[in-house]
Amino acid sequence: MVSRNETILIVEDDPQIRNFISYSLKQEGFRYFTASTGQSALSNLVSEKIDLLLLDLGLPDLDGMEIIKRVREWSEMPIIVVSARDQDKEKAEALDSGADDYLTKPFSATELMARIRVAIRHLHREGGNKQQSKAGVGDLMIDFDKHLVYLEEAELHTTPMEYSLLSLFFRNIGKVLTTKYIIKEVYGVGYGPDTQALRTLTASLRRKIEKNPAKPRYILTEIGVGYRLSDE
Amino acid sequence: MIAAHPEEEKMDTLKNKISGNDPYCVLITITMIASATSIGLLFRAISFPEANIVIVYLLSVLITARITRGYVYGIAGSVIATFAFNYFFTKPYYTFSVNDPTYIITFAIMTVTAFITSALTSEAKQNAMEAQEKEAETSALFQLMNRLTDAADMSEIAGITTETISKTINCRAACLCFDENGRPEQSFIQQQSTGKQVRRKVHDASEITDSIEGLRTAFAIGEEFYDWPIYGRETILGILRIPKETAIVMSEPNKRFLRSVIESTALAMDRFRSAQQQQRSREEIEQERYRSNLLRAISHDLRTPLAGIMGTGEVLMDMTCKDDPKYSLVQGIYKDADWLYSLVENILSLTRLRDGKLAIAKQPEAAEEVIGGAVNLMIKRYPKYEIKVRVPEELLIVPMDAKLIEQVLVNLLDNAIKHSPSDSEICVSAVKEENNAVFTVLDSGNGISVSDLPNIFKMFYTARPEEGDSQRGIGLGLTICEAIINAHGGSIEGHNRTDRQGAEFVFKLQMEGSKDGQQK
Repeated sequence: MVSRNETILIVEDDPQIRNFISYSLKQEGFRYFTASTGQSALSNLVSEKIDLLLLDLGLPDLDGMEIIKRVREWSEMPIIVVSARDQDKEKAEALDSGADDYLTKPFSATELMARIRVAIRHLHREGGNKQQSKAGVGDLMIDFDKHLVYLEEAELHTTPMEYSLLSLFFRNIGKVLTTKYIIKEVYGVGYGPDTQALRTLTASLRRKIEKNPAKPRYILTEIGVGYRLSDE
Repeated sequence: MIAAHPEEEKMDTLKNKISGNDPYCVLITITMIASATSIGLLFRAISFPEANIVIVYLLSVLITARITRGYVYGIAGSVIATFAFNYFFTKPYYTFSVNDPTYIITFAIMTVTAFITSALTSEAKQNAMEAQEKEAETSALFQLMNRLTDAADMSEIAGITTETISKTINCRAACLCFDENGRPEQSFIQQQSTGKQVRRKVHDASEITDSIEGLRTAFAIGEEFYDWPIYGRETILGILRIPKETAIVMSEPNKRFLRSVIESTALAMDRFRSAQQQQRSREEIEQERYRSNLLRAISHDLRTPLAGIMGTGEVLMDMTCKDDPKYSLVQGIYKDADWLYSLVENILSLTRLRDGKLAIAKQPEAAEEVIGGAVNLMIKRYPKYEIKVRVPEELLIVPMDAKLIEQVLVNLLDNAIKHSPSDSEICVSAVKEENNAVFTVLDSGNGISVSDLPNIFKMFYTARPEEGDSQRGIGLGLTICEAIINAHGGSIEGHNRTDRQGAEFVFKLQMEGSKDGQQK
């Protein structure tokens, strides 16, 4: 059993789900606290040193969105949201409010652990050197200083917009970015809600970096929510 | 109730004006002239000057004009008075001849004076009468509006209108209401007598509708009734029926009154209808909220424990060695929970789709992204299978609800995997054909048996695999696919491959017309 330093807070009202998550976390060597209500979650967040928050959106007392907003007032800790399948709107809203990732019920423990590892890695990367000059996933590499992209060691030509989109993904490896957020970051605030341009841009970028754009290895589509740069 | 007397009196006057002949008025005229003559004879007996007699005659004409209706009696009176004066009071008496020619002037002046007097009097009376009529009409209308405001339903409105019309025009008026689809109701209300209304069956509904539809004048002429349509803001609300014999002789003021009544009735009916509609939509919203709350509660209450069972099962499997008999037991629990979960999801989706309540939020989406999303899910679920994906080089933008189309692809791929050995090839592709995006899911399994082919999209129909129920289908997957594609206005079909063994499912979505979808 690996021992880790991170402490995770599980906020989930169903005891069975709470149990198996706790067990899996223990197996992975994480320390954890559990809370079954929003109120106890908030008091735990204040009294303990929590590194990552695992939050069920459907809590009996508080709206999950409310908890995200309150946490974001004082902390940058990764937040992974758990929700039911037909709550796309809530998912996107949670991500826009500051959540880092989401999982849909029923989720497998393996999947959950993978997501938690990504979030923790993300946390360390940001905590360590904020001004990193290079980042890479698989055969894809980006040099932030030189504004260059490499695929399998070879320099890849990208348009300024494609670079801008790709660098946004590389600054948020593994994190789900909502369409709304990407448009705001890449096209600017005044651009409006037109997703068509973003789809076209993503398609052209995929045609450059993916072997098969409909079976992407790097830029994954989260239907109804947004995109994510794969971390594996 | 409407005050009866002024109306009835008015009705008499209206009738008299039309007929222009009333024994009562003739009697008055004769009586007045006779009285004047008697007084004149009395005056002559006591030797009053003749001028007084002339004045008495003028007075009698004036009174005649005042009491009788119309100009006729006044004018007749003045002529008769002159002749009477000539007959009784000028020498030679009791003849129409005159000895003194100056009397001719007296006659002329007397006639003219009587004429003018009677004309003025009649006109004043006429004006007063008209004013009275108008006032009565106004008050009748006012009362009608007052009563219509309190009416609780369409037939009550019709009843009140019928009663008012019947009283004012003195006939047995009727009113036929139309339903919300613009079709006449089964029966109409008719006034039988004061305070008594009957319902009569409509025999010629289609005839009535036809005659009203083709109407260019204010009313339609039927066998028993003249029909005045009552139009609302959008549709016809009913017709007002006046018996033929009354309608033919109806005067201008009566028609005017009728139009006002129809207008007020239309307003009242319109108001009632819109209130009714508001009420109904409020109820619908309420029901819809109740439904979605219920669905939400059910789905939450079923999904949460199933997610718990599945997660725990997975953890237990991880803890158990694969050779341990416990492993397969736990795996059984996991699979059953998974199956149950899919069933719950499918039933929920289908309930929403079947009701037509599931809002299809069409947005331009990239076909490759939706396929990619579905394939990604399947790879996670079945890592052993190889799924090939083919999309055109050109980006295919299709208006759709991406989440639902993803579900269609997942269901089709799931089907393909269930009916294929693990090393066989499964292929999903999208191409553009004219104005359609055509999605295809191919497998190289056993294909669909001939007996199953016509039933594959039917609810709860599952093909019976030879190996028993080890891989039970849910029997809803394809039904849901069909419902989703239909909701998108597309088409879906399934058949066996012609090039080799295996099944092929194809669905088409329209590429243009996204504007329609968005506007909805």
